This record gives sequence, structure tokens and C-alpha cells, in this order.
Amino acid sequence: MAADFLFQVFPNSGLPIYRQLLDQVRRHVVSGRVSEGDFLPSVRQVALELEVNPMTVSKAYSLLERDGVVEHVRGQGMRIAPRPKPSENGSLRERQERLLPLVEQVAAEAYQLHLSSAQVKVLIDRVFKELDGK
Amino acid sequence: MNQAENVLEMRAVSKLYGSRPVLDRLDLAISTGGIVGLLGKNGAGKTTLLRCALGLAKPQHGTVTILGEPAWNLSASAKELIGYVPQTPQLYHWMRVQHIIDYTGSFYRRWNAQLARDLVADWKIPPDQRAGTLSVGEAQKLAIVLALAHEPDFLLLDEPVASLDPAARREFLKVVLEIAAGGSRSVLFSTHITSDLERVANHVAILQNGQISFFGELGELKDQIKRLRLISTNTFPERFELPGILRQRIEGNQALVTTRTITPELLDKIETSWHATVEIQDLNLEEIFLELHDDE
Repeated sequence: MAADFLFQVFPNSGLPIYRQLLDQVRRHVVSGRVSEGDFLPSVRQVALELEVNPMTVSKAYSLLERDGVVEHVRGQGMRIAPRPKPSENGSLRERQERLLPLVEQVAAEAYQLHLSSAQVKVLIDRVFKELDGK
Repeated sequence: MNQAENVLEMRAVSKLYGSRPVLDRLDLAISTGGIVGLLGKNGAGKTTLLRCALGLAKPQHGTVTILGEPAWNLSASAKELIGYVPQTPQLYHWMRVQHIIDYTGSFYRRWNAQLARDLVADWKIPPDQRAGTLSVGEAQKLAIVLALAHEPDFLLLDEPVASLDPAARREFLKVVLEIAAGGSRSVLFSTHITSDLERVANHVAILQNGQISFFGELGELKDQIKRLRLISTNTFPERFELPGILRQRIEGNQALVTTRTITPELLDKIETSWHATVEIQDLNLEEIFLELHDDE
């Protein structure tokens, strides 16, 4: 099943096009707009539709594959991979370590905005709730 | 031709006009497949580079190999695989558009007359008009048609979009993308319009002071060159002595620093040495281009 993908890129942004594509797929996956087993449109299709270089699209796709977000199915293209089971993703500690840089960033921003850890947690809980609802 | 080979290799190429070196021991290698944008200021030597690549100008030093052959001594069969659109198209002004197309086509064994017809129709070039009476934009479009219709393996374009309006430019870029989509054909085009390049090029070559100052993936360039906005509780020194800094502006406890490579070590050093908070700003190609040329 092909997912309804509407990529949008801003070539004149400081963010490289391949990163814009990466971010959009990740966001779609996290928000549940695409699910396991959905196919991404082909590199050629995306390149022609967005009028961008195919190598740029293919770079984004291969990075997604490296990170395990999608998997390559021979002759069919890129499919959204199942979310790895906790055990495949490392120990609890390893997984926490991996999230740490993002949390540090959030904490720094929160500090600037005079938000306490409890006030930030309210937001985190809200986002989690939205994800579970999907 | 071997697909793994470079379509273009320039080694230690110097081209002088009088005593002024336009290309100064320049090295450039372009591999098969893909679109390379050649970026440089007016007068940086983009046209000279392309002319040397094509064997239309002879450098005083260095070697140029195009499609595996020496550029200065190209065989007819290699020439047949090359398409070139000069900055100012040379058209037979007395001939009608369709006659120029037929005449040019007669020189090539591989000539796609259907493609030529389609492009002429798509781009609304009047086929019965004499070339001399075409507008600048129409003449440029016709030159592009002539360079595309023999389906070259290697297409070189010198400021191809300079006189096209935005709609025609997008049409043209689309054609270039379709050419490159197969992966076996290569495009090198010079421009100073960074926004066109950002969309279609996978590699960028920046020509500066007669040499290629950057060659690499466009995404990589954007990943590397960043502007840092620093704010400290203390006053900053007059100058930062850090590796890779392209440009710096310091005003009391605030600073804007553009850096060639951003590393966690660099950020750590800034944060600890000057008690500064760092905000990393992405730069688009135009901003990067300006930052790189700031010292001139």
C-alpha cells in the first residue's frame, strides 16, 4: 500500500533538502500519519514532483534506511519499517543516553523561558497522549 | 565509455590572459551522472573554465580530459556526446528556427527530432521566425534545444538561465533534471543564480581566485558552514582565534561568527572559554556564497 505522501521542500532554506525530507518522513511516522508497511513514493517520483535532484532524494531515503525508519523491499521500494522492539534498541540506559542530547536542549530552552521541570512535563505528557491516541 | 570514469578531469590547469591568471593550477574532477553547479562571481573565470573543459580554449599549463579524451584533441565521436550552450548563443541569424534545427541535426547520428519538436512547442519558440529576430530569451531557448536534441552524455551550460524568465527557468531546470534522472548522463552548469542551483544540483563547485575553493555535495556544504550567534555575560575579545572561521563580527558581549566546519569541540570551547550561549543558524547557498566572498 502506498502512503499518501505530500512532501514539501524549500530549496532556498539553509536546511539541506535531504534533511527536510528526512524530517518529514520521521514526523509522519511519529504522528502516525503513515504506519508500518506503507510504501514511500519512488525516488524518481519525488524528484520529478518536487523538481529536485534525484540523488538528494535518494540520499534522504538511504539515511532513513540506515536509521531503520524504512526498509528496502526489492523491486517495490522503501517501506516503513516496524518500530524496533525495546530489546533490539539497546538497554534502557542506552536508550536514555540516546535521548539525552534532545532533553538537554529542551531543558536549556525551558530554562530560558522560565519553565520548571514540572511545567515541561505537562507538555511531554500531552504529546505522549496524542501519540497513544493515534 | 567506461561509466565509472570521470566525465571531466582538470589537473593543475592554468589559463592566463596576458599576465593575469584566470585559472590558477585548478583541479576539478566530475564523475559520471549527476548535476554539478559551477558557482562564481562575475569575472571569476566560469566561462574560461568551461571553454578549457571543451577544448575551445587552450590552457598554458595542466591537463584537461573530457569523456576520457584530451580536450584539445577531441575526436568527432566524443564531440557527438557533448552538448554545450554558450553564454551568448551563436546562431545563424538569417536562418529560420526550424531550418537551424534540421541543419544542426544533420551533423549528428543520434538526433532526437521529436524531442526538438516537443521543446520548441513547449517553450513557444516560433519555428518559422528567423533566428536574428528572436528575443534574447527565445534565442537562448533555441540554443538549449540544439544542445539537448542529440541527447548528449555530458551537457555543459554557461549561464543557461540568465535571460530566461522564472517560468522558463523552471521549465529548463525540469528538463535538466530529467536528463540526469537516468543516472548515466552528466550536467555541468555555471550560474550566479544560487536559487536555481539549490534545487537541481547535487554537487557544487565554487570557483574563487582561479581555483575550486569548494567541491562537494550541496547538502554537505549547508551542513558544514554555519553561522553562530553568541551571547555572553562577559565582553568578547576583539577577535576570535579559532580554526575555520570565515567571518566574524563582534559587538561587546554579542558576536556573529561564520565557521567552515562546526564541531562539538568548537562549541564546547566557545561555551567554556567565554561563558557564551550559542545559537546555530543555518545558511542558504546565497548566504554561504556571500560569506565565502567576504574577504575580497
